[in-house]
Order: sequence, then structure tokens, then C-alpha cells
Amino acid sequence: MTALPVPALDRWRARAARQGAAVLIAALVLAAFALLDLMTGPSGMTPGALWHAALAGPEGADRAAATIFWQIRLPQLCMGLIVGASLGLAGLLMQTILANPLASPFTLGFSAAAGFGAALAIMGGTLIPLPLPGWLLTPALAFAATLAATALVWLVARARGTAPETLVLAGIAVMFFFQSAQSLMQFMASPEVLAQIVFWLFGSLLKANWVAVTVSGTILLVCLPLLVRDLWALTSLRLGEAHAASLGLDVAALRRRAFLITALLTAGAVSFTGTIGFVGLIAPHVARALVGEDHRLGLPAAAIAGALILIAASVTGKVLSQGAAIPVGIVTAVAGVPMLLAVILTKKGG
Amino acid sequence: MKLATLATTVALSLALTPALALAHEMITDLDGRSVMIHETPKRVALGFYYEDYLAVTGPEGAAKIVSLSRAPWADWRPGQWAAYTAVFPALETLPDFGNADDNTFSVEALIASKPDVAILSTWQTASLGEPGVKQIEDAGIAVVAIDYNAQTLERHLLSTRVLGAVMGQPERAEALAAMYEAKTADTAARIAKAGPSGKKIYVELAQKGPGEIGNTYGKGMWAGVIDLVGGENIAKGQIENWGPLSPEYVIAAQPDVILLAGSEWLNKPEAVLLGFGKSDAAAQPKMAAYATRAGWADLPAVKSREVYGIYHGGNRTLSDFVYARTIAKALYPEAFADVDPAAELVDYYKAWLPVAPDGTFVTKLQ
Repeated sequence: MTALPVPALDRWRARAARQGAAVLIAALVLAAFALLDLMTGPSGMTPGALWHAALAGPEGADRAAATIFWQIRLPQLCMGLIVGASLGLAGLLMQTILANPLASPFTLGFSAAAGFGAALAIMGGTLIPLPLPGWLLTPALAFAATLAATALVWLVARARGTAPETLVLAGIAVMFFFQSAQSLMQFMASPEVLAQIVFWLFGSLLKANWVAVTVSGTILLVCLPLLVRDLWALTSLRLGEAHAASLGLDVAALRRRAFLITALLTAGAVSFTGTIGFVGLIAPHVARALVGEDHRLGLPAAAIAGALILIAASVTGKVLSQGAAIPVGIVTAVAGVPMLLAVILTKKGG
Repeated sequence: MKLATLATTVALSLALTPALALAHEMITDLDGRSVMIHETPKRVALGFYYEDYLAVTGPEGAAKIVSLSRAPWADWRPGQWAAYTAVFPALETLPDFGNADDNTFSVEALIASKPDVAILSTWQTASLGEPGVKQIEDAGIAVVAIDYNAQTLERHLLSTRVLGAVMGQPERAEALAAMYEAKTADTAARIAKAGPSGKKIYVELAQKGPGEIGNTYGKGMWAGVIDLVGGENIAKGQIENWGPLSPEYVIAAQPDVILLAGSEWLNKPEAVLLGFGKSDAAAQPKMAAYATRAGWADLPAVKSREVYGIYHGGNRTLSDFVYARTIAKALYPEAFADVDPAAELVDYYKAWLPVAPDGTFVTKLQ
């Protein structure tokens, strides 16, 4: 590679520094919102009381305060961070491998599949003989159904190649299949069960607990090193498929790997919380607006943006309805539209 | 088998209660969970079955409620909510801990209201799952699940006795259980004596107005009550749980009795509105409109005016024997000639609840 002329190199360094700073600032804002999330909740505990509960530990003498801090707010925050980061990462991956700004973790039918699995569990919960406690059945089936959808798209990709059109069409077929299966479930469900299915689909952090945090967190941690390996390859793919291939990249293998990681991240994120919309669509756009196409910064930026959107929505939901919190999925859906518009309108030309 | 052990446990604890009125007591709730009650709770978080709770505790129970799941009461049964908030205005301002059905149940809000015990329905504890229940218990709050939704005699009686044991009102609970059991036995005895009625019955949720056919029930809810009293439900085998029958099928089935299930819905001008604060005079023309549906004038049920309005909120509660007897009376008029379900409902409220059932709960098309 020929040496770049010095002014160009300086400009590049300055831009990289700017972008690095942007990610850092985003991370600090996220930390601030995380703190805010811990401090808001229907019990209206004062920051002082909360601080005491945190210091007293999970076995603190004030049982109500200890439970609220250690068993309710903290796992909800962790779950929000994990789910937001997973969906942000999965969204960016999907948009990269499909070369489509409209793609999200749910484009290839994963959410419809998760919804079908959840509906199956909510409806026939006790009929399915699985060695699981009842409350784990819904996440388990949602996870399994998402993997089933992945397998279907995967089979098509094996047979017909991984061109974005093929993946999208296979994904849409899978999505319609699971959506109709889910509609059938809803049609057969009694009113109370129907309400449960519909509200599962909205997505909520209220049922977060440490088991869920551990499972989803482990999936995220397992996926991270796999992603790091492909940072350069993914960045090259953004130059276009032909360019990437000319650089010696096995585009098909890369797409398949990224597709599997996306599926895993999405399944891990939505099985416990329900399909939280818009995060996976908007976070990648925010990330690109901050740091451009380089996935070395783009992936962390997407993860931070995803977590930030979800935690901000969680805080908003808790502030808006003091008593019973509005499901966070509804807030992200409502707030997502103006955010998407803002991203589009502030985007620099070209 | 499990029920039998549950029953023995409760019976045992009840037998011991008079001597140990305020001492430690182990109760097995309707989830089969063992709950230790140290002393009669002074602060209660109430999830559902508000009327059954008040029937067991008596009026002083209302003052003990420190938080509730508001939507199933205030939104599902606005008329009933208005009747109770008129007597207990404090209910209006109690903290709301959300609704399990729409995933807004907030364990934190429940804990923040600092109750001694959380009395929830089994569908609420199922929705919370083990981790949610544990969160509440870890905050030092006893969780007691009861279940009238199952709509079985055993679980109705058991739920009532558990409520009595928890709230320190075992005698009241026992009397209520005995009353309910006696009414159910009386209904069954009259039906057995009358023999099979062979009458075909159609029930419709009269919410959408006559222009659109509403849901009927193939299993559970009203279908369960119809099965209990030996009616021939035309939706059986056609509708899995709930859903609309085709209008053609209803006409072809030629039902002998039609039940229109009404409630206190808001913004439903064409619905049959029944319940607290609703008048029969207003319900009659709505029911008559249903009877003029295409092809309905010639149905046996319409020709003989066997068209009934029945309160949809009357299921899954201790007063539901009234509605079973209403349907039974429609099927076996002679066997129930001396039974007046509407009057029995008034008697029930007078004996057990702090409000009067002012409104229309069962009616017949004139």
C-alpha cells in the first residue's frame, strides 16, 4: 500500500479521534441513563434509600428495599442493557449482510417465530411435557422457534446461495409462515390467553430476573469474540459484494456466519422479554451516523445505541406511568418513529 | 389427589384455628404452595376476586387493602367499581400494581405498598412465574394464590376457606362455603329429579350489537355452566373455546333457549348492558333488537320468548350459583318454579357484601 499524503492521513486520524470520542460520549450517556433507570421506579424510593439498599447488599435488613434494588431494578437494568446491545448488534449485522438499510433483526422472520413459540407456550403451557419450570417454558419455546426459523432460512441459503435477495425472500416466506401459525394460535386462544399473547409480543422488561440475565448475557458474551474475528471482513462487505470478493473475502461464508450470530443474539434477546421493536432497526443507523462504516467502531456504537434506546425507553415508561409501568416495547415503538425520522433528516448527503 | 391433600391441610388448619387465632399458621394455597401466616394481616395487596375477598373479610377488609391490580376491577367491571368506590372512596386512590394480563404487573409497585400479604389469583401467580413470586416473598410478603376461575366446586370452596384462614375469618368463610355448596347441591338435585331437558341452548356475548354475531363459548365460561346444568350447547364441538358461530348455523340449530351475556361495557351503544347501575328498561329494547335478526323470529327460543339476559361479570365468583340457577330455570322451568335467581342474588349481597346489587343481573325478554 502506498503511503497516504500527510494531510489526508492527518484528516483520517482526526476523524478517527472524533469518532472514538463520539463512542465514548455515547457510552457515558448510557451510563448516566443506566443510573437514572436504577433511580426510577413505581416505589418512588429516594436516591438515599436506594444507596443504602445497594450498600446493604442483597441480604440487607430492609427486605423491601433490598428486594427492589437487587432483585427487581438491577436485573431489569442488566436485561435492558443486554437486550438493547444484542438487538443493536444484530440489527447492524443484518443491515450489513443484506446491504439493506431497512433490515432489522426481525427482517428474516425471527420475531414472528419467537412470537409463535411464545404463543404455543402461553396457550398449551401445561400440555407440553418439558422438564422445565412453568415460567421458563415461554422463553424456551420462543428460543426454540427462533432457531427453527433460522434453520429454515439456513437451508434455503445452503441450497440457493446467500445473495441478499435469496435471504430476504426466504426470510419473508418464513416470517409469513410463522405469522400465520401465530394467527391461528390467537384465533384458537380464549380472550384471557389472547391478551397474554398480544402483550408478550409488545415486549417488557418487568419480568427480568437473574436467570434471564445470565442466559441472555452468556449468549451475548459468546457472540462477541465471534464478531471481533469478522470486523474487517464486515467492513469490507460494506464496500459492496464485488469489492469484498476482490479483496479475497469468502462473502457467502461470511454471510452465513453473521446470519447465525444474528439469529443467536436475537433469540437470546427476545425470548425473555418479548419482541421489542425498532431498537434493532434504529440503533445501526445511529451508529453509522456517529462513526461511519468502520465496523471496528460501528459494532460497539450499535451495541451502545441499542442499549441506550432501550434504557431511555425504560426510564420514560417508568416516569410516564408511576404505578404500573408501560411495557417498554410500546415506548420504543412509539419513540422509534420520530427517532428514525431524525436519523433520516440529519443524515449528511450521500 | 392433590386436591384431597390440599383439602385436608386446610381442614386441619381450620380445625386448629379457634385455638391459635393469631399464632403461626401454615396454609396451603391454590397453587399448592405452603404459606406461613404469622398473624392476621393488617395490610393486603389484592390482585383479583375483590368481591369474594370482601365477602370473606366483611367490610373491615376494605380498609386493609393497601394496593390492588386496578384494571380487572375498574376497567373490566366499571359499574361494580363505581358501586364499591361509593362505599369505600379510599379505593379510588390506592396504588395500582398493574395487570398481569397485559404484562404491566409491577412487583416493585406491589412491594412498595408494604403489604403483609399479597392475595393473588392463580392466573396472576402463573404470569409472574416462580421468580416473580419469589421476589415478593423475599421482600417479606406472604403470597397466597386463590382460584375461582377454574369454575369448579372444589376450588371455589377451597379458595374461600384459604381466604378465611389467611384473613382470620374462618367461621365466615366456612359459612360462605356451606352456603355455596348447599346451593350447588340444590341445583344438582333439582336437575337430577327433573331428568334431561333436551333443550338446545345458544349463548352469545351481546357486546357488538345485533348487526354482528358475537362470541359464543364451546368450553369453559358459560359453556362450563351450561354443561353443569345439563343444557345442550349448540356451540359444543363447533367452537374450541370461544368465537362466533356462523349465523346460518345458529338458525339451523333451532335453539330452544338463547342467553345474551351483557356487561357494563363503556361506549357500546348497541350492546345489552347489564350489571351494576343498569336498568331492565334499557336492556329490553337491546335484547328485542337481537330477536329481530334475520331468521330469528322463527327460532323456538324467540317464538316462546325464551331469551334471557345474563350478567357476563357473574362468572368466577362466589355469587355465580345465581347464574347457574338462571340457566337451569330456563331449561327446567317446573323444577325451579319456586326459585327466583334475581332475589337470591339480592339475598347474597345483603348477607355477605357491603353494597347492594343495584342494577340488572338477570332478565328475560318481555
